[in-house]
Amino acid sequence: MEENIIELKNVEKYFGTLHVLNNINLSVKRGEVVVIIGPSGSGKSTLCRTVNRLETIDSGEIFIDGELMPEEGQELARIRSEVGMVFQSFNLFAHMTILDNVTLAPRTVRKIPKAQAEKEAMELLKRVGIESQAGKVPAQLSGGQQQRAAIARALAMHPKAMLFDEPTSALDPEMINEVLDAMAELARDGMTMMIVTHEMNFARRVADRVIFMDQGQIIEESTPDKFFDAPGTKRARDFLSSIRTQ
Amino acid sequence: MNKAGSRTYVRDALFEKPGPKALKKIRLVTALSLAALILLIFLVIRQFYITGQLDARYWSFFLRFTTWRFLFIGLLGTVEAASLGGVLALITGFLLMLARISKYRILNILSAALIEFTRGVPTLLFIYFFFLVVPQMGIKMSALWKVVFPVSISACGIVAEVLRSGVNAVPKGQREAAISLGMSEAATFLRIILPQAVRFVVPALISELVIVVKDTTFAYVVSFPDLMQNAKVLISNYDALLSVYLVVAVIYIIINYLLNQLSLYLAGRMDVSTVNVAEV
Ligand SMILES: Nc1ncnc2c1ncn2[C@@H]1O[C@H](COP(=O)(O)OP(=O)(O)OP(=O)(O)O)[C@@H](O)[C@H]1O
Ligand SMILES: [Mg+2]
Repeated sequence: MEENIIELKNVEKYFGTLHVLNNINLSVKRGEVVVIIGPSGSGKSTLCRTVNRLETIDSGEIFIDGELMPEEGQELARIRSEVGMVFQSFNLFAHMTILDNVTLAPRTVRKIPKAQAEKEAMELLKRVGIESQAGKVPAQLSGGQQQRAAIARALAMHPKAMLFDEPTSALDPEMINEVLDAMAELARDGMTMMIVTHEMNFARRVADRVIFMDQGQIIEESTPDKFFDAPGTKRARDFLSSIRTQ
Repeated sequence: MNKAGSRTYVRDALFEKPGPKALKKIRLVTALSLAALILLIFLVIRQFYITGQLDARYWSFFLRFTTWRFLFIGLLGTVEAASLGGVLALITGFLLMLARISKYRILNILSAALIEFTRGVPTLLFIYFFFLVVPQMGIKMSALWKVVFPVSISACGIVAEVLRSGVNAVPKGQREAAISLGMSEAATFLRIILPQAVRFVVPALISELVIVVKDTTFAYVVSFPDLMQNAKVLISNYDALLSVYLVVAVIYIIINYLLNQLSLYLAGRMDVSTVNVAEV
């Protein structure tokens, strides 16, 4: 058993001439919750998306539970299936019921029998508090319910880690907490998580470690209390004061 | 299915709800249009009467069972050619679309060229090709296929482009969500992208089927007994041009009206608004 579930070594990425990931070294231990913070355009989403190769990298290595992320093929798909991803815009399959959204990947990728997949899916939907919505299509749900369904869909693959890219940024304020609560519960249950968020109170409460990014680089890495009370770099101080004055 | 009353039409979104003055205007325009229409119909019928087209001998054979049976056999021919042509156009259009969006550049170029070619050439030229050139190459095929092939070739390019526009309309987050769950590219395309794409383009596909139905009227060139060809036989048997053409036109209108109704029905049934609330 590897200690590090997610490990990035010397990762570099360019969008044209834009150096969007600059020598990223980062690891997330089993059961650890890492929150990534930084100004808009600093490369947080890109970093998150490289971890299951929704974005390719130009150099460096990414390991998931000790296995090197391959560039393509069935091995890549298998490793992707072991890392859950939750998007800002939910991305639930619009033409399927919530239950089908949750059971599709277990059934097609893992070949789990329908009845068993549905039983597990209902348990997951119950866990995030939307079991009564199972038969509806995504458009019939509120944003908060959709995002909780997306979390259940990712959990249905029993992932080794979960990636969240600003999971509450598209939500109306009154729905943010229901999603954050579901995530906090996941963290309590020991899920390994990498979360990009602008919810500072949540970060402070749930994170084991905070990573501050700016212009494609990891500028600072520390415990939440230290980061929020006494940030070590000027850029982090400037960023924190800019969001506090908002 | 949605009730018509609960739908919002683009028209409703484009214009304000009419006020009392506008309502008056709308009523006036409606009345004038109706009057003009009635006048036109009257003039046409009067002209028919003057030229003797309403004469019993041009219409009496429609009282015979054999006339209708003959037209019905033609109708079956039309349905056969149009459905085979439609299915073939759907299959070839789908394959062309796959080639058009594949990651192999050579396939992109080839299919783009084929799509432009089939869209640019009139159906009648394809019919003549199968009527005149194909037999010369020593290939024998029945009259049915001499209609089905050209009609479907003529439609497949448009079907490919319609399907491609549907695929492009599916938000890219749908694909990302599927592959991040470990689904293969193929499964993602078949289970996630394609079903949504088809929903977007069902009305456009049915419009193309209407064109296929209309294109089958070229069947007379290769003497395939479709509705049009059988109508021509009736015309020469009874020396009755106008009455037969009128009846046949009405039959075509009914077929295509039914297809359009099918399109509305399907669009209504699939109208689980497929756009997520926070599509950003
Ligand atoms: N596909 C792309 N092509 C070119 N440039 C891109 C692409 N995706 C992102 N970028 C650029 O890369 C930089 C980092 O983007 P990224 O989305 O990772 O930032 P972010 O930290 O997540 O910002 P935000 O807080 O606004 O979500 C930005 O300048 C963005 O414009
Ligand atoms: Mg982002």
